[in-house]
Amino acid sequence: MKAADILALKESALGEARTAGTAEALEQVRIKYLGRKGLLPEIMKGLKDADVSERPAMGRYANELKQELAALLETRRAAVATASADAATEAFDPTLPGRWRALGARHPISRIIEDAIRIFDNLGFTVADGPDIETEYHNFDALNTPAGHPSRDTQDTFWLESGQLLRTQTSPVQIRVMESRPPPVRIIAPGRCYRRDTTDATHSANFHQIEGLYVDKCVSMADLKGDITCFARRMMGADVKVRFRPHFFPFTEPSVEYDFSCHVCGGKGCRVCKQSGWIEISGAGMVNPKVFAKVGYDPEAVTGYAFGMGVERIAMIRYGIHDIRLLYDNDKRFLEQLAQ
Amino acid sequence: MKVSLNWLKDFVAVEASPESLAERLTFAGLEVEGVTRIGSDFKDIVVGEVLSVNPHPNADRLTLCDVATGRETVRVVCGAPNVHAGDKVPFAAIGAVLPNGMKIKSAKIRGEASFGMLCAEDELGLSEDHAGLMQLPRDIPAGTPLVDVVGGPDAVLTIEVTPNRPDCLSILGIAREVAALYGLRLNLPSIQFPETDPSAEGLKVAVEDAEGCPRYTARILKGVTIAPSPLAMRLRLTRCGIRPINNIVDITNYVMLECGQPLHAFDLTLLKESHIVVRRARPNETMATLDAVERKLTPDMLVIADAQSPVAIAGVMGGVQSGILDTTRDVVLESACFKPALIRKTSKTLGLSTESSYRFERGVDIRGVDWASRRATALMVAHAGATVAKGVLDCFPVEPEERSIVCRFDRVRDLLGIDIKNAEITSLFEALALTVVDCDKKSCTVKAPTFRPDLEAEVDLIEEVARMHGLDKIPAAAPHSRFVQGVNDAFIRATITCRDALVGLGLTEIMNYSLVSEKLLVLCDAARTGQRIAIPRPISADQAILRDALLPQMIETLGRNRSRQIAEAAFFEIGRVFFRNDQKAYTEEEHVAIGLMGPAGRTGFEKRSATAEADSFLWLKGILEALCRKLFIRVDERPAGRDQPSGLAFQELTEADPPPALYDLGCFEKSRCTVITLDGISCGVVGLVRETLRREWRLAEPVAVLEMRLAPLLERVTTVPAAERLPVYPSVARDMALRVNNRIRHGDIVSAIWKIAPKELTTVELFDIFTSNEIGIGFKSMAYSLTYRSGDRTLTDDEVNRLHESIKDRLRSEMSVEIREG
Ligand SMILES: [Zn+2]
Repeated sequence: MKAADILALKESALGEARTAGTAEALEQVRIKYLGRKGLLPEIMKGLKDADVSERPAMGRYANELKQELAALLETRRAAVATASADAATEAFDPTLPGRWRALGARHPISRIIEDAIRIFDNLGFTVADGPDIETEYHNFDALNTPAGHPSRDTQDTFWLESGQLLRTQTSPVQIRVMESRPPPVRIIAPGRCYRRDTTDATHSANFHQIEGLYVDKCVSMADLKGDITCFARRMMGADVKVRFRPHFFPFTEPSVEYDFSCHVCGGKGCRVCKQSGWIEISGAGMVNPKVFAKVGYDPEAVTGYAFGMGVERIAMIRYGIHDIRLLYDNDKRFLEQLAQ
Repeated sequence: MKVSLNWLKDFVAVEASPESLAERLTFAGLEVEGVTRIGSDFKDIVVGEVLSVNPHPNADRLTLCDVATGRETVRVVCGAPNVHAGDKVPFAAIGAVLPNGMKIKSAKIRGEASFGMLCAEDELGLSEDHAGLMQLPRDIPAGTPLVDVVGGPDAVLTIEVTPNRPDCLSILGIAREVAALYGLRLNLPSIQFPETDPSAEGLKVAVEDAEGCPRYTARILKGVTIAPSPLAMRLRLTRCGIRPINNIVDITNYVMLECGQPLHAFDLTLLKESHIVVRRARPNETMATLDAVERKLTPDMLVIADAQSPVAIAGVMGGVQSGILDTTRDVVLESACFKPALIRKTSKTLGLSTESSYRFERGVDIRGVDWASRRATALMVAHAGATVAKGVLDCFPVEPEERSIVCRFDRVRDLLGIDIKNAEITSLFEALALTVVDCDKKSCTVKAPTFRPDLEAEVDLIEEVARMHGLDKIPAAAPHSRFVQGVNDAFIRATITCRDALVGLGLTEIMNYSLVSEKLLVLCDAARTGQRIAIPRPISADQAILRDALLPQMIETLGRNRSRQIAEAAFFEIGRVFFRNDQKAYTEEEHVAIGLMGPAGRTGFEKRSATAEADSFLWLKGILEALCRKLFIRVDERPAGRDQPSGLAFQELTEADPPPALYDLGCFEKSRCTVITLDGISCGVVGLVRETLRREWRLAEPVAVLEMRLAPLLERVTTVPAAERLPVYPSVARDMALRVNNRIRHGDIVSAIWKIAPKELTTVELFDIFTSNEIGIGFKSMAYSLTYRSGDRTLTDDEVNRLHESIKDRLRSEMSVEIREG
């Protein structure tokens, strides 16, 4: 072997190191030339057998080969590492669409009912329930609305063959609860009600109400106003105002209707509230002593308030729904818009 | 109830603007639904006399009229069809401004000059009528200011009168409220008329049903001239929604609007034998009412009859046969009081509601009956030239007593939650024309007049205080928490948990009507018609049956969404279903239904792959399993231990074991559904919708649905889970791949494994399933991963291998499976 051979070896080693594109290839080059059984240690081993005149140059060249190749491998290794990191970075595309499962959505009517339950939970109300197929007694007679009472006209009823009926209101739950326990009573009763209304933008043959009833010693109209106002603010927003107008219901006396200030215009008047600044919600009042007498409560010992509210109405106001039929149309896009 | 403000002012001198009066009434319980302004002061509008009418040379529909205006004669181009020489019509002079803002100028119309305008009622803001010119009485001199003829500006308040206040179905009743609210005096018209012989006794009145008719009065008026009633009266009637007919009929209506007492006028000569009998209708009697309908009468209806036959349905409508004609000379004027329930029933039965029946149903003032009769008589004397026979026939056997009601002042304050002085309370009563007697420091006694049938008890008086004092003066008490012994609402709260879980699983809640069409139900399942509850006389065929299952509407809803380009949906509904139980009694219970359409459940690119039957089914099954886990129902392929509930399981639907009657099995593909059991009790069905049904809504891809009873699903929701010790020693996994016949199901394999499992076997998990040429036709490869763990030591590899091999051996020997090695 001559010095020139070492020079040639060096060239090919450096050449291979330059072209090696991966960390593995660089390692192969290192092992080929500098490894324990590599070409360079071979040369070094054979040095003692070489021509004496060639020996110094060979030693120097071999050393150079070792140094330069090691240095080049080092540089190349760094370069290759950077390049592969860059490639991975390039391949990583954070702008691809995220992967997620559908969120699901509560129906707006359930949502309103559940919100109401939560609000009244805080005031110590429990939730009562009653059948949709009711007796005439619970739906009318016990609520001081005997046959022939004009109030029956305003609630055109689905009568069934059996003489039972589809409840026109959730108020019969008041009777069922009071029949089953002594006072005090503090309940709300959400549920489905039915009236013979032809379906249109504001009417539906079935709809939902939430009934409220509080009976105890010394319940007053001031309590009714306070609790309904509290509900209004929690349901519709802190600056909602509530107003009460005298009205008539057979099972409450005095009776009121109550309105919420219009959430759209804040009470200034707009199309939604027909320029009045108010939106009619529902009726309420102090339980008529005749109703207490029917369920065996002593009207001298207790007083109470009762209220009802139309769930569809609240949903329509809260979500700006203009047609009640949308609530029963169940278009997925509509329901997902209102998912909360 | 429509109230003309000008008419109201005859009774009470209220100065407030219509709008502020409306607000005040609304907050006193008489909700004013609308205020319509009418007319104006009609400056520069006078009565014009049409002297001549000539055709317009250039227009067929226009005429050239010469009109005398009192000061001059002017030429007006007129477009009305009803203009004739001699007419007296409203004439708006140049410079006049009509109530709608239109200003009258001189103009050339189709080449002819016009100096003013002849007006129709709508142009004057008097009504909606635009049929032609407003015709004024011909005896009014030309040039009379129109305001002197039709009155000044007016407003009509439309008031919603609640059923407890029949007294407010009258101008007088509203006037009483206004007087009380504004502290004004009520002015009643003075009524005077001369009476002449012979007396009214010539007419015979017999009340056979005194309970149905507690008071009946009749007066006889002779020599009337039937003619239009005075313009002012006609205008007031029109404003209040009643069409003028003739002076006699108009006066009865006018007085009804004024005081709330319906009246009826008969032609005396048409009453057989001058006889009036108030009785029940006889079986099979019929009568033609004024609206020219032949009515079948029944014995529960009260009629007014002559000696032969009914002449009016009491309190509802008169008959054609005895009605007022243009030739009528002698009139019997009826003013009576009928039992409200009776009139209501009659009106309902006949489907005939009139202004009269509406008032009788709610109750008229029995003491006001004769006042109304006298008022109408005086008006008939004035406007129909009547002479009045002496006296009145008044059948009024039992004079009602005024009710005395005790009102305790403290009770008022307690119930309303306000601080109000005793004297304030009594003065509110007095303002309402209630007489206060026996007043002391604690209470007072109030006499309720007969026109206030709603005042029965103390609480009714408290209501009067509330509305007259003002609800706005009742403070809103600070809400306070008060926990009383509650009702058991566990089921409702569990339902909320269930809904939460389903929403959490990515499902969208829907709500369908409880009333459905028979067609839909039969389409889905024709076999169950017997137990369904039909609505008698349904509003429409779409809402004729109470639903006995949620699935039909679930599938319909999916179809409706699909038709709107929505390819994927995962819906659930929680709702009540209704059916007849085995004893035929109406029953209702809560169900839950779930429906999946398209690649629901998958994310991202997975959605691109078409939905295979099995996929849809398994996604739905997975949702059910997750839901059950959430509700603490055991979901485990491992057989339950001795004291353990079996939890969720599926049971094949077989002919031998008839399916539970509660579910719409007809919705399913027979071989693609299975019964859901919870703790061994079947409570629902899950499967794929049959293709023939899907086709109804063009649902091309598989649709998986389930319906089940809600109650069993919620039974364990309140479970409090117990913390168990976590395993201390590591587990070891071993796989096995089986080549099995397609007939063998995963469930068979898993239960076989568990049946022979050593106690160290912890889990069995299917991780791959495939078919290939190598596996062979009719076979599949199923790969399971089994984990082993011991509770008291670390298992060695040898031990695990031994356990695993023994399971393989037994599988091989007990089932026709082949264990694939390597
Ligand atoms: Zn508004």
